[in-house]
Order: sequence, then C-alpha cells, then structure tokens
Amino acid sequence: MITHIKKIVLCVFALSISVYSYSHHAFTAEFDANAPVNLTGKVLKVEWINPHAWVHMEVEEAGKKTTWMVEGGTPNTLIRNGITKQSIKPGTVIVVRGYQSKGKLCLPRCIANGRDVTFPDGRKVFMGSSGTGAPRDGADPRERR
Amino acid sequence: MDLHDLMAHFLTPASEKIWNSSGSIITEEGELSLAPTNQEGWDEVIFGAQVLIESTYILNRPDRANGRKDWIEFSKLLEPIGKRALDAAERQNSEELFEIGADLYQACVACHNVYMKN
Repeated sequence: MITHIKKIVLCVFALSISVYSYSHHAFTAEFDANAPVNLTGKVLKVEWINPHAWVHMEVEEAGKKTTWMVEGGTPNTLIRNGITKQSIKPGTVIVVRGYQSKGKLCLPRCIANGRDVTFPDGRKVFMGSSGTGAPRDGADPRERR
Repeated sequence: MDLHDLMAHFLTPASEKIWNSSGSIITEEGELSLAPTNQEGWDEVIFGAQVLIESTYILNRPDRANGRKDWIEFSKLLEPIGKRALDAAERQNSEELFEIGADLYQACVACHNVYMKN
C-alpha cells in the first residue's frame, strides 16, 4: 500500500516538473528584468534537479499566502556557493531577491528567477547561474571580477 | 530541419532524459529520488545518451558548422558527455548521472552564450 502511495506521489511530482519544464533557457526568454521581487517566506519544497534547482516557498503579504516557485542554478553550482539540501530544507525561512516571470498571472503559482538567498543566520548567497543573461545586479560574484 | 527544430525536437528531449533521471524532491515528508525505477525508465536514459553522442556529428554537418571553429568545439563537448551518460545509465547509476547532467548544462550554456538569441 505504501509503495502504491509513493508511486502516486512520484507521478504528481513528475507532472509538476514537466509542467514547468523550462529546462534550459536564456533569462530574457522567461523572466522580466523590470520586475524585481523580494520574497520572504518558508520553504515548502525543493526540486534538487538539473538543469535548475527550484525552491517552492510560501510568501505571506497582507494576510494572503502565495506560493512562489523560484528557479536557481544547477544543484552543483548551489553547492559550490554554499547552498545544500540541508541548508535550504523545507521549513527554513529565507529571503530571496530575484525577478518575476514574464507571465504574472501566478496560476497556479508565481514564478521567479532567484538571484540571491539570505538564510536565517544572515548569510547571503548567490543562487543563480552565471552567463544566462540575467541583469548585472551585483548578485553574481563572477560579475564583480 | 532548421536549428531551432533540431534543438526543440532532438537535443532538448534527449538532454531532459538525462536531467530527469536523477536528483530528488525534498518536502517536509522526506526526500524522493527521481531515479528510474524500472528497466523501461533506464532505457529512456540510454536512448537520450545515444542521441547526445550522435549530436556531435549532426551539429557538425558542414552546412550547420559553416567552418566555425568554436561551433565545432562546442559540438564536440556532447559526445564524451553522452558516452559518460550511456555508461552510467547502463550501470543504473543515478548519482553519476546527476554529475553528468550538470556538465551537460555547462556545455549547453557555453554554446548558447555565443549562439542562442533568447
């Protein structure tokens, strides 16, 4: 029975991934450089997958809860920057700076490209990918060299 | 087939077979591996790897390469990555495919930074 439930859960997750199967793309194809966002909320789910990790977080504003799905770099890039599965596990409250998707209907959830994430201990870390065409906003340490 | 269609119908689906064969979903309930759970799933990854291997030759067709040295070098990145993916898929090693998937992305980005407009 448990195995059966696991299969169903896996199918639901697989479907949610395929729906957002942007795979690999240039920043400007999907995200709006004129729509910066600053999100504070609890991590609900992390898709630790290539080519982009996705962090699902619950953001509460004016009493309304909204789920945001934030795109990060490859998991390997995140690890090199100091973001691990442990540091960003569900339940952690984080602050993400990034840019919203060009589509802003937020159906079924809002989507953003994450540039940096701040952890509860104050540590701020670049969470994007270099060379994708994202705005040069100082988040990527490689741009400063 | 033009380059856009080649990417959309050939290279992207093949790459996704590699990317989708590893990693995990983490929720408060726990971590769920995305590794294939049966031979049919692994066969899909093997097929994706084989396509990547052949992609080096398809992209290097003279009318596509146009003698561009960097294009040829970028294209050549795919064959060894595909061979590593094929080897890992035949051994059903999802963790190795996770590392290979990251390398594949870097190869894609290197070329797209030069040749992809959005």
